[in-house]
Amino acid sequence: MINIDAIVKSIKKLPPFPTVAKKALKILDDPDASVDKLISIIEYDQAITANVLKLCNSAFYGLMRRVGSLRGGLVVLGNAELKNIILASTTVKFFQQENIGYDVTRGGLWEHAVASAIIARLISERVGESEDPSLFTAALLHDIGKVVLDTFVDRYFEQIIALVNEGDHSFLEAESEMLGIDHAEVGARITESWNFPKDIVRTIRLHHRLEKVSDDDRITPIVYLANIITLSMGIGVGRDGLSYRGEEEVMKRYGLKARDLQEIVVDFYDEYNKVQDVLGLV
Amino acid sequence: MKVSDDPGVTLVTHSLGSCIGVAVYDPVVKAGGLLHYMLPESELDANKAKSKPLMFADTGIPILFKSCYKLGAVKGRMIVKLAGGSQVMDASGVFNIGKRNYAALRKIFWRNNVLIDGENIGGTVNRTMWLSIGTGEVTLKVSGQGYKVL
Repeated sequence: MINIDAIVKSIKKLPPFPTVAKKALKILDDPDASVDKLISIIEYDQAITANVLKLCNSAFYGLMRRVGSLRGGLVVLGNAELKNIILASTTVKFFQQENIGYDVTRGGLWEHAVASAIIARLISERVGESEDPSLFTAALLHDIGKVVLDTFVDRYFEQIIALVNEGDHSFLEAESEMLGIDHAEVGARITESWNFPKDIVRTIRLHHRLEKVSDDDRITPIVYLANIITLSMGIGVGRDGLSYRGEEEVMKRYGLKARDLQEIVVDFYDEYNKVQDVLGLV
Repeated sequence: MKVSDDPGVTLVTHSLGSCIGVAVYDPVVKAGGLLHYMLPESELDANKAKSKPLMFADTGIPILFKSCYKLGAVKGRMIVKLAGGSQVMDASGVFNIGKRNYAALRKIFWRNNVLIDGENIGGTVNRTMWLSIGTGEVTLKVSGQGYKVL
């Protein structure tokens, strides 16, 4: 087993969460904040500005009129949507890095992230829960730990996959055994270092550990299930394959049946076709 | 779904988790096709069965065969190979869309007297599948296992 200090050190080497995004997200959480204040912050961030316009004019929002200015976009979008756009614009670059350990096709980790976020929403609608403001973010970022753990997975891949192939370890359990830490825990520590809200950190930490989720946690089980469905569809899946545990309890919790899963898959492809713009964020 | 009779073409489909890739090929006319379907039965959603028939085994597979017939392929000569149908680690079976996808295909093939010449099905792996129209060779990339010819 390697010294997990090396992994923790590379968490610290990851670029900080951009200040502009952090400030903008904080303003969006303040019900009294003005659009002017928000504009004054994000107009200096070209990526966010470009992405706000791109998304406002995408099929996902299906607006009748073309939005040409940041102000126009901010007026059209709700706070929750704007938050999602800022988050997506800010985090996409982390997911676009080349990965050799998990060996996901370039852009695949981002596809997996976006697909999981869409499915989390679909599940939330299906089970009749009002969407928790943290749900989209938590689903989008659940695998952020893979970005850092990648080089370590690469170095120890043969040992990890040997454990998986023996049949009793999931890939996550094998990571944990060989590296002393798994991608879910690494992801939790990354978002902790970015001062993300506790509920998001918790969901990232537990997104493969349904047995540790408390009854009042409204986000983690949905992200857990969204991830299982996304993995099942093979979207943005690498050398780790589908070697993760799918626990029936999550289905029982929401009264979902196998047929519901298939209906979610159908709905998903409709939504996924609409968000191809999100996949090509700058 | 893609079909071709251009010997220079190689068809490919990515991200075969629970989905199934069906490669069919007639070596005499050197024509074939590759279908990637996601779900077993189109009765799930009547509208989608019409607007996106390739999504389901029971509506997609007939279209694959008929499209190849148009290129001169003959059913009796066609070589049929499959990949995909995997699933997450799940003792309860509730997440086994892959298994259901495979069962639906077997039912359709059995009814229509279609034999399977090669398959790489199930497990907890992700697959990519290629069909060379020039040679009929089907190649797979299986996560954690690398490349293999089917």
